[in-house]
Amino acid sequence: MASLISCPHCGIRPKEEYAIKGAALPRPAPDAPRSVWFDHVFLRDNPRGPYEEYWHHAGGCRRWLIVTRDTATHEVLACRDAGAEPAVTA
Amino acid sequence: MPDPTAAAFELTHRPVLVPVALTSPCIALLPLPEGTVIQILGPAARVEDVCAITDATGFSLRGNGPGQWFAVGDEPDKFAELAATLPDGFTAIDQSHGRVRIAIEGESVGEVLAKGTGVDLALFETGRAATTLIGHVATHLARISDDRFELLVTRSFAENVWDDLKIMAAEYLGVSHE
Repeated sequence: MASLISCPHCGIRPKEEYAIKGAALPRPAPDAPRSVWFDHVFLRDNPRGPYEEYWHHAGGCRRWLIVTRDTATHEVLACRDAGAEPAVTA
Repeated sequence: MPDPTAAAFELTHRPVLVPVALTSPCIALLPLPEGTVIQILGPAARVEDVCAITDATGFSLRGNGPGQWFAVGDEPDKFAELAATLPDGFTAIDQSHGRVRIAIEGESVGEVLAKGTGVDLALFETGRAATTLIGHVATHLARISDDRFELLVTRSFAENVWDDLKIMAAEYLGVSHE
């Protein structure tokens, strides 16, 4: 696993301070068909390469972050606050 | 009419940490008075508004991530005074009963804390504050001066953190950590 995450508010912190929720995917419309919601909630692509995930800085600033992580090398490519993302507020 | 059972159920405040400091020439662990601790939430851009209130009421203000602060003071029962003057858009939560302060100071303070936290203390200037893990416990860390930090931990974890700090500081206190 990526062991150091660069929180935009707190700086570089070890992964033990964070809780991982999973893939950061665009949220379907509230009235989307059940099959679309089933896909969104349960089915994952598991790609090789850069992957966006929600991380919660539980042992720090308690903000939700979107971490871009390479699933093959575990390199952390970017880390930004999730509050400004439309996917979260939709 | 006064409640006749009130006296029987009167709450007695007892500090969770034995108020005895552990000191050596290069490190000191000090349980601080359980005064007033207030968590403040509000718009991050209006930090000056919060600063003005805490300065006027004699609190020390410490940041805790975007839009979150802790106001701490040694005197108990000061929550109402601060809450009454808080501007619109901010929320204050009394944490005096829920969080305990510990000071750690001395020339070896950086070496001691570095055993427990992932914060890079070399880049953590005086006046900065942040929440981090010390061991497994979320702890709010504030740098008061070059060689003094204050820790703010939830009350139920305070003894655990105190014991961890004793182990972390054992080599500088000249005691066995068993």
